[in-house]
Amino acid sequence: MNRKKKNTLFAYAWSAPSLLLILLIVIFPILYTGYISLTNMNVYHWNDYEIIGLENYKDALFVFDNGFIKAFLVTILWTIVNMVLQLIIAFILASMLNIRKLKLRNVYKTLLIFPWAMPGYVSILLWKTGMFNSQFGLLNQWLASVGEEPVRWLNSDVMAFICCTVVNLWLALPFMITIIDGALQSIDKSYYESALLDGATWMERTRYITIPMIRAIIAPSVVITVFTTFKQFDVIYLLTQQVGSKTGADIHTIMTYAYENAFITNNYGYSSAISMIIFIILILFSMVTNMKPKEEEGRA
Amino acid sequence: MSKKVKEGIGLTFVNIFFIVICFVTLVPILYAFSVSLNANNSLLSSDFSFIPEHLTLNNYKAVFTEEPILLWLKNSLILAVVTLVLSLGTGVPAAYVFSRKKFPGRKAILRILILLYAFPSLLSMTALYKLLSPMGLINTKIGLIIVYTGTEAVFALWNMKGYFDTIPVEIEEAATIDGASSVQIVTRIVLPLAKPTIAVTAMMILIYVWNEYIFAINFMTGADTYTLAGGLYSLQATEMSGSWPIFAAASIVVSIPILIVFFALQKNMTTGLTSGGVKG
Repeated sequence: MNRKKKNTLFAYAWSAPSLLLILLIVIFPILYTGYISLTNMNVYHWNDYEIIGLENYKDALFVFDNGFIKAFLVTILWTIVNMVLQLIIAFILASMLNIRKLKLRNVYKTLLIFPWAMPGYVSILLWKTGMFNSQFGLLNQWLASVGEEPVRWLNSDVMAFICCTVVNLWLALPFMITIIDGALQSIDKSYYESALLDGATWMERTRYITIPMIRAIIAPSVVITVFTTFKQFDVIYLLTQQVGSKTGADIHTIMTYAYENAFITNNYGYSSAISMIIFIILILFSMVTNMKPKEEEGRA
Repeated sequence: MSKKVKEGIGLTFVNIFFIVICFVTLVPILYAFSVSLNANNSLLSSDFSFIPEHLTLNNYKAVFTEEPILLWLKNSLILAVVTLVLSLGTGVPAAYVFSRKKFPGRKAILRILILLYAFPSLLSMTALYKLLSPMGLINTKIGLIIVYTGTEAVFALWNMKGYFDTIPVEIEEAATIDGASSVQIVTRIVLPLAKPTIAVTAMMILIYVWNEYIFAINFMTGADTYTLAGGLYSLQATEMSGSWPIFAAASIVVSIPILIVFFALQKNMTTGLTSGGVKG
């Protein structure tokens, strides 16, 4: 056997267990989801379902009242609002952390990344009960102490959207601050010194030095965060629509929408079609952002 | 006003700003912590303060005696360890091969893997349920282990491959010239060098299983089969029922191990996650 063949065989043998696992547990269920999406499987047709072609896709994409299009638009809005706020707030905080004579910098950093360290679902549930609960939530206690009426934070769509955004920012900012802080520290300080000699203002330095310099460094992390924000499920689900304690707000992102159709209204065929549409959106999105296996640009 | 004084005033303002921001950030956690330690159950009074007047550990005692939290912990640990062994055991050799060898189909597989990495497993939940239920694997640990292992196998392979790429090949080439076999190279040279990424990947897998609740509550329905996350989910205080102080105490208990792991690995966490994974 020649060396190259031996090499190939070795590679297949060593990667086979992992790839087989992935094939069976990840890829096969996705293909099966594709199959279910072509059927009318629901709680009445759990075993005796039949193939109905692309009906579910038509229902999702062309019947506005079914709610998928609305959920999709909400998801886009959610992603944009969250990303813009996240980048602006993280940039401001990271810049302030880099003020030269700030001695307690590391203390502040440690405290600010605390939300990142907490298990996400625990934090969300603590926000839900501790902050937003209409009776013993802290926000209403504070309102009561200044003589205001209690507010039902999660009951109306707009308010719930704002609350979810606040919680999501709380969860996501530590990562973004860390990334931007790291990028800021990598900038050569001599650029600023010569800019200062030329009399550049803070705005000019930010616009012509800081932002162009950090953009390439933070880009991969920003892309990843856009993905996670787009796919965000926990915040909205846990705050507003847990089984048995729906709060009355009706905001759906595509993820919570797919989940609700699968496990609450048990419309499996339809929900699987939604899943496949989301998967296709994610594929298109990753093609647009040009995410490639890392080494295609470098080695190998 | 001299420049120094001006700077001093500016710095004071920045410090005050950060103290306020840090406090605001920590409010939800501090509030839960203080409620969990508060002896007089005066939740509805408006004169709440962050430092409880009468301290008590009764809520923590209740978490361990009145709730089956130790059983949930056991369930979570079993799931975590088995998932860890399966996904690392298969992931390490695969990640090594994908980083070091060239073989037909390699690029195509990598492209598929990156798509799978973006695919939330939540979306194939129906299919997984439908596939596992005829095998009698719903409501069993094996069912959840299968689901978790799939998700984490993709993560482990992808994350560790990224790290292997950063280890210089020259060391291995030198060893080959000295007559070392492939197995020797991996066990004697690559594995010791890859220790940091294996540690971080292992921790990420443990944290994932520790925190996963949505499969846990849908695939496990009895209180004695709950995982920690599923159990904590069931303990929540709603507007109607449940005890907020006990839930707060349980939340703190569940979070502490994760907090310790996070701060111990904090440095590796950022680099381990951003240098592995993907690059634009």
